[in-house]
Amino acid sequence: MKGFGYLAKEGLKSVWSNRIMSIASVCVLVSCLVLTGAAALFSINVAQVVESVGDSNETTVYIKSDVSQLEAVYIGKDIEKVSNVASATFYSKDEAFKKYKEELGEELFNKIEDRNPLPDAFIVVMDDLSLYDDTVANILKIDGVDSINDRRELAKKLTDISNLVNIICVGVVAALMIISIFIIANTIRATMYSRRFEISIMKSVGATNSFVRMPFLVEGMVIGFISAAVSTGGIALLYEAVMSAITSMIPFTFIPLSNVILYVAVAFVIAGVVIGFFGSFISIRKYLKKEGNEILGW
Amino acid sequence: MIDFENVSKTYPNGTHALYDVTLHIDKGEFVFIVGASGAGKSTFLKLIMHEETPTSGEIVINGKKTSKLKRREVPYLRRHMGIVFQDFRLIEKMNVFDNVAFAMRAVGERTATIRKRVPYVLDLVGLKDKMRDKPSELSGGEQQRVSLARALVNNPEIIIADEPTGNVDPEMSHEIIELLNEINAKGTTVLVVTHEHELVREFHQRVITIDHGRVIADTKDKNAHVHYSDDDYDGYDDYEDYDDVPQYPDNAVVLPD
Repeated sequence: MKGFGYLAKEGLKSVWSNRIMSIASVCVLVSCLVLTGAAALFSINVAQVVESVGDSNETTVYIKSDVSQLEAVYIGKDIEKVSNVASATFYSKDEAFKKYKEELGEELFNKIEDRNPLPDAFIVVMDDLSLYDDTVANILKIDGVDSINDRRELAKKLTDISNLVNIICVGVVAALMIISIFIIANTIRATMYSRRFEISIMKSVGATNSFVRMPFLVEGMVIGFISAAVSTGGIALLYEAVMSAITSMIPFTFIPLSNVILYVAVAFVIAGVVIGFFGSFISIRKYLKKEGNEILGW
Repeated sequence: MIDFENVSKTYPNGTHALYDVTLHIDKGEFVFIVGASGAGKSTFLKLIMHEETPTSGEIVINGKKTSKLKRREVPYLRRHMGIVFQDFRLIEKMNVFDNVAFAMRAVGERTATIRKRVPYVLDLVGLKDKMRDKPSELSGGEQQRVSLARALVNNPEIIIADEPTGNVDPEMSHEIIELLNEINAKGTTVLVVTHEHELVREFHQRVITIDHGRVIADTKDKNAHVHYSDDDYDGYDDYEDYDDVPQYPDNAVVLPD
């Protein structure tokens, strides 16, 4: 298109000359994008955990704390007798304690070393995971068995939380998206009002609608692009912070930021530019239909 | 060049702005359009520019029936016209050069062409040495000449001036019309809407008088002074229907000065 460079420059200029409104648009759009991104990253992390949990065929069976280790060995024999149980390996509370200490830091555990609160346990492997529920029920019937660390339960809980977060996020993001478009539309309308002279002159000399529209679309898309850039930086910082905060509390393997940041950035840019485009498009279309046709008398 | 065939215009609010106007303007003509405010002059211009469409009748511009015009063709119709506004409509933040160049950029002209053409047109209107000035640094007459340069820069076949002297000192008014005359002499059709009788009388050109939405006179009589009612009038909304509208004879009412 002829004169595109000129029109693009005009669009860029008005982002600056309208900076208060531009900043407002960017802020709303950034919160929209960051929230969407955070929800997406949360759910892919949860999905990864769920997958790894679902894959592992190990169930921890905890023994009541008043049971001695010798008695526990007999309980282990009973567990092995339950049909569908392939093996039951003893996992003592001392071992468990040592493992936690390694993973979570010594300071906390040194203080309580002499009164280990952890129970003894068996790591049970099953032949057929589809019989999981029945097998668990049978193991729980054995005297001295306290509870089962049902990792599927954990997986299910995580998935539930993830779904809930997703639902809330979809709602909030949809609302923010509408607000973003609305605010961008208003920003562009402010630009158009301050440029109504120019528009009327452009139309009077026979500029086509697409030509008149161009600087405003560029303005909207630039706002979208800036928002995408800010959001990418923001989510990277947020992700790192949350990741280090959580890993300091519980062992959790996050998907490394470098694996996902490129996709996040690309998605943000696409979303930002599209939202910016639509925001401007809506208001310029309304304007060109109404006041924009008036040349002599507005 | 411009043909009106039985054109009437009624606005959605019921105002009858023009009633059964038939006229013909040839290529290369210089035409004054006079009338009191509210007589229908603005509507006449809006119809030519296709800013409004007639309620009935047909307008033919450059042999093209405007009723057949598609929305996307309107900009190209307007490229045959250059408009001079009463309030100049210059962009304050741009200097004289950019104001004129703006009209060329708006139709996607190349920068190289703009750099050549703008100084040439500014020279025509006598403002070549004020190219870098802002509109606020210019007199009303000079601002109107910038506006005229902008109207001319895309080389239109028709120049439409809407009260070009309305915001200009009386002594400068003469100069503006003189300039339009020169442009006309080079072959451009010029339409000037005005209500300044003195000016019209001075230049001995074709005068179309619109009153109460009708063409009541169309003459080139040197010594003619066309009479029209001077009251501000917003069309025919006072009347129940057209039959009640004061009628004028078919031939113009031309009163001696």
